[in-house]
Amino acid sequence: MNPYLLIVLLTSLGLGTALTLSSTHWLLAWLGLEVGTLAILPLMAQRHHPRATEAATKYFIVQATAAATLLFAAFNNAWLQGHSDIQHMSHPLFTSMITLALLLKLGLAPMHTWMPQVIQGVSLNTGLIVSTWQKIAPFILLLQIKQIHPPLLTIIGLASILIGGWGGLNQTQLRKILAYSSIAHLGWILLILQHSTALATYALLIYIFMTSATFITLKKCKATTINMLTTTWTKAPTITLVAPLMLLSLGGLPPLSGFAPKWFILQELTQLNFIPHASIAAMAALLSLSYYLRLSYSITLSLSPNNLPECLQWRVNYPISTPLSSALPAALALTLFLLPLTPSALTLII
Amino acid sequence: MSYLVCVLLFGLMVGSVGVASNPSPYFAAMGLVMVSGVGCGVLICFGGSFLPLVFFLIYLGGMMVVFAFSAALSAEPYPYGWGNRSVKMYVAAYVLGVGCAWKVLLGKWSGFWGGILDESGELLVLRGDMMGVAAMHDVGGWMLVLGGLGLLLTLFVVLELVRGVSRGGLRTV
Repeated sequence: MNPYLLIVLLTSLGLGTALTLSSTHWLLAWLGLEVGTLAILPLMAQRHHPRATEAATKYFIVQATAAATLLFAAFNNAWLQGHSDIQHMSHPLFTSMITLALLLKLGLAPMHTWMPQVIQGVSLNTGLIVSTWQKIAPFILLLQIKQIHPPLLTIIGLASILIGGWGGLNQTQLRKILAYSSIAHLGWILLILQHSTALATYALLIYIFMTSATFITLKKCKATTINMLTTTWTKAPTITLVAPLMLLSLGGLPPLSGFAPKWFILQELTQLNFIPHASIAAMAALLSLSYYLRLSYSITLSLSPNNLPECLQWRVNYPISTPLSSALPAALALTLFLLPLTPSALTLII
Repeated sequence: MSYLVCVLLFGLMVGSVGVASNPSPYFAAMGLVMVSGVGCGVLICFGGSFLPLVFFLIYLGGMMVVFAFSAALSAEPYPYGWGNRSVKMYVAAYVLGVGCAWKVLLGKWSGFWGGILDESGELLVLRGDMMGVAAMHDVGGWMLVLGGLGLLLTLFVVLELVRGVSRGGLRTV
């Protein structure tokens, strides 16, 4: 892509999120969301094959619908209330409508059906941006809305965890697996949002680190299906060593970072006496864990049939360097080693 | 006067249904022209004269003309009008929706709030709609800049999405 245009688009992506994060008025928040949506469209359709074009179209229609619903509800609320402040919304119907619009933007069940198709249709780098950066702005808006109808968040959160788990079970395409993983993680974040915004932010942060590490790893291995993962040991033995730990961190196992958000979310839910919610969430996390384990099995725990010349790619192509390669060590460190630092990490967020 | 407003609003509904029922863009553009013309009529009935003027000049005279040119660039031999079966289904669905809304809201809508445009009861020189536009430029200056930036970005995005002669959306550019 033309480098000037690339700079304009990436800058606008940052600008959109920054506008939304810094706004107290719904119009400015909507403006930031729309700028972010528009800026990513050429990045998605970059390769111009039909699947990418279809993914860009679906993404645009879904996000535009969500933004239109958001604007409609925000202005209705402003009419009834007299001001468009994000933090002082009072009308229950329009608060729920705005919440649903933001959850559609985030890709939570039952409004999740666009996520796997969109992330599958775009390249791994763009899928990384859609999965991580584009979640920040709607999440911050969700944090600021008070008095959301509690059953709405709970039901959608639990449904997302379950659908994220069950949906990813039959997938062989890695980008679809990561899309369902994203749905499940955002379900966990939504579950705790009404009780503790600090924990929700921490969960989102850890999720962003883990997903970034996964996408960059897949980009380095040039793998988009599970079959392509089986030759990772020939290309980058170090990644073969670390990748299962990264995937198990996504699954939420101690002593890796991914355990911390789940741990504290379950603890908070239990303290507030929401035992069924905590039980269902914990058991549904096992569904996601099963497909993460399947991926680790393909990468590290088994040797697929291979011929001799292919076994020594790491000698010839060393080092495999993609534009995001320099971020991989940092992302991996944050994905694996953050659990002992949780107390100080939480004090940064609370 | 209120009868005229009712007729104009009915025309607004007809035009909106004509646009939303998904015909080919040429016919939908005609629906939009009808909607904007009739909507401006409603505004005039309530005393606002500046906004309809701006609307006709910029929206119809600027944006609709550009849209008509770009639709002509991507012309198709058998466009869907409102007689087409799928479009008729949408029309029926939307008319049903409007009917339901009418039944539900008839008599319960609490009346218009005409405070901006006319019903302060006095004769003013500084009309509400003109003062609103002035305030948008004065107090809301930076929002206008951001809006303009967003629109400029939209231009770049659209140009990038449709370029490429044989694989782009517009086959001639």
